[in-house]
Amino acid sequence: MEPIVEVTHLGKNFRRGLEEIHVLSNLSLQVPQGEFLALMGPSGSGKTTLLNLIAGLDSPTQGSIRVGKELISAMGESRLAKWRTRHVGFVFQFYHLLPVLTAYENVELPLLLLPLTYSERKKQVLTALDLVGLSDRLSHRPGQLSGGQQQRVGIARAIVTDPTLIVADEPTGDLDSKSAEEILELLVILKGALNKTILMVTHDPRAANRAERCLHLEKGQLVNETYQNFNVHTQAVSH
Amino acid sequence: MEGIAERIDSFLVPLVVTPGDAIRFTLVEWLGFFVLFTGFAFAGWAWFYFRFILRNLLRNWLRTSLTAMATMVLVLVVTLVWTILLFLSNATSEKAKDLKAIITEKWQIPSQMPFSYEADLSEGAPSKNGDFRVDTTKDSMTWQFYGGTVDPAKRTRENIVFFFCMDPNKLMTVNDPTIDSLMASIPIPATYPYRKEETGEMVEIKSLNLTDAQKKDLEKVKNAVQKGQITSMMDGLDEMAPEELVAMRKAILLTLGDKRKVVVGRERLLALNKRIGETFKLTSLNYKDIDLEFEVAGVFPDGRYNQSAVMHRDYLNDAMDDYNRRNPGKRHPLSDKSLNLVWIRVPDTASFQKVEGQIAISPKFQSPAVKCETASSGVASFLDAYRDLLWGLRWILVPFILLTMSLIISVAISISVRERRKEMAILKVLGFAPGQILIVVLGEAVIVGILSGFLGSFSTYYLINEVIGGVKFPIAFFPAFMIPFEALWWGPTIGAITALSGSIFPSYNACRIKVSEVFARIS
Repeated sequence: MEPIVEVTHLGKNFRRGLEEIHVLSNLSLQVPQGEFLALMGPSGSGKTTLLNLIAGLDSPTQGSIRVGKELISAMGESRLAKWRTRHVGFVFQFYHLLPVLTAYENVELPLLLLPLTYSERKKQVLTALDLVGLSDRLSHRPGQLSGGQQQRVGIARAIVTDPTLIVADEPTGDLDSKSAEEILELLVILKGALNKTILMVTHDPRAANRAERCLHLEKGQLVNETYQNFNVHTQAVSH
Repeated sequence: MEGIAERIDSFLVPLVVTPGDAIRFTLVEWLGFFVLFTGFAFAGWAWFYFRFILRNLLRNWLRTSLTAMATMVLVLVVTLVWTILLFLSNATSEKAKDLKAIITEKWQIPSQMPFSYEADLSEGAPSKNGDFRVDTTKDSMTWQFYGGTVDPAKRTRENIVFFFCMDPNKLMTVNDPTIDSLMASIPIPATYPYRKEETGEMVEIKSLNLTDAQKKDLEKVKNAVQKGQITSMMDGLDEMAPEELVAMRKAILLTLGDKRKVVVGRERLLALNKRIGETFKLTSLNYKDIDLEFEVAGVFPDGRYNQSAVMHRDYLNDAMDDYNRRNPGKRHPLSDKSLNLVWIRVPDTASFQKVEGQIAISPKFQSPAVKCETASSGVASFLDAYRDLLWGLRWILVPFILLTMSLIISVAISISVRERRKEMAILKVLGFAPGQILIVVLGEAVIVGILSGFLGSFSTYYLINEVIGGVKFPIAFFPAFMIPFEALWWGPTIGAITALSGSIFPSYNACRIKVSEVFARIS
């Protein structure tokens, strides 16, 4: 199957004062369409940096990233912003909803950047909120919702533009186990029902267990990959 | 374009007659803009931006209101300063048409000329055929000044009256006899807005109870001013209501019939504790031993002449003649110095230059010599003494205030941006381009600037014009400065410009936020 994400010899360095920090080095990766992929690893291993690079939030120091047919590693900031609107949906650990907007308006936010009429926007927002089971919380502000509900709004906002990729950075990290389970279930349903490609960073093995494949990073390199249930297939992937 | 502008003017100007009309008109105008804006905004994403920006502003309403209040106060100061500067600028700008020229003694301040100069100077000193001749019935007037106190034993600011001695007809000249008889037929007393009872008591007129025909006549009076059938050498005639014009004309006729009768401004009358119809005697302060008795025949309409008083010039001149007759061989010291100014009005610059030349070469005005200058250059010469003060107002105070406004807005927006770095990052993640984030931040600043600027200028306009009655800035001989109608635009404009300039730096910072750094910090 043609990969939807293709990362080739990726490297990312940060500078802290005079020191150059190599966060990712010579990393290659392919993600097929419709896969639910988990990225695991210790803190500082580069998982979030990799996620940010694939989502077009940052630019690599070396290597290339192709998503679909587009070489996003070569895009400028404004073009990347437009690309993100159409192709990437984000789910954050701390939900990151705008506190002054209602659930409806938070979900509507990315659609404002697309050439849609009011009724088209409304239809898409209501569908997304219905999918996450929050049709009855349209006019609630984030402060009036529980953590699990806020994360559902975050997921609705991520899927409302029908993106190519959904990237989730520790989506269950701030939730109790029951809510975390519900969110993971929701992601699995979305992947199954909408055939979305999901990239999820997590520290939680139970969350990773819901993914089809799990990549382990250490010191900026992929050290192994495991398929569902962790013991199906294990191999060294870098170098 | 000029034709279109004139047509718009002819439509709009009649709608704005009083300050109250102006305020109502402005409110309607802004309501119109609001409806238009929301009309457009409902159709698209602009409405979302607008609401989003407003909610961000209301999130910390205390900071937003403090910023707005600071802007309003500064707009108030700028409006006051600009009002004075604009007034002075207009007063010193040369007109191309209907120039007012001032003739004074050439080498001395205060100007004191013999009254014998009056006849020739009023005509513009024509000496031969082809010379320009001023129409003395309506285009010239003489000024003499007579000051006195009602209590010579204890002189105070309140008991002093300073009279302009002139031909009362020059207060208001009715050039068409039919209009004059029309005005006489309208039953409005010279004492308007008061009526004198049989007992001598003055009662405020609540309603004029005019017939429809009389109301129409009042309209004709109003139109007569616009048509030039009623003119005046004094400023402010066009500001008078038709009822006030009729009352003023009747008061003038009374002063023409009895030289003791005078027209006095409201505030001066109040300070003297006198009412219309009452008499008072002045002990002169400048014309020694010429003490005169007066009767109040009328009162100036509320406004720029509140502190003024006008008497018939013949009353003073006759009193001088009488003094000289009673004291043979000992003429009054001011006998040949009683004419202070002559005003003439000429149609254009060429006529002015001609008159100026006629006066300059005339042998009749050699001792003392006189000069003729336009009113604007006369004012400019007078204001020369205040040059440094005005320069400071214009180039130090106003820029400093504008800079302060920018800084206040800049600090408020910077704090707001710092508090919302995460939200800016989220917007970026969702696909908002740097330019769109820039618009959100600039929009917040500009909305605060425009709204508080408008409130600032509107409240300044209302407070100064309606409540205080003008800025009493004691410079030269100008009356209280009234805030011009166009000042209602100054506030929103300077609010928007200072907000824009003050928010450029914080909004640039907002749009340069690095998403990965912000989220790394949160994690």
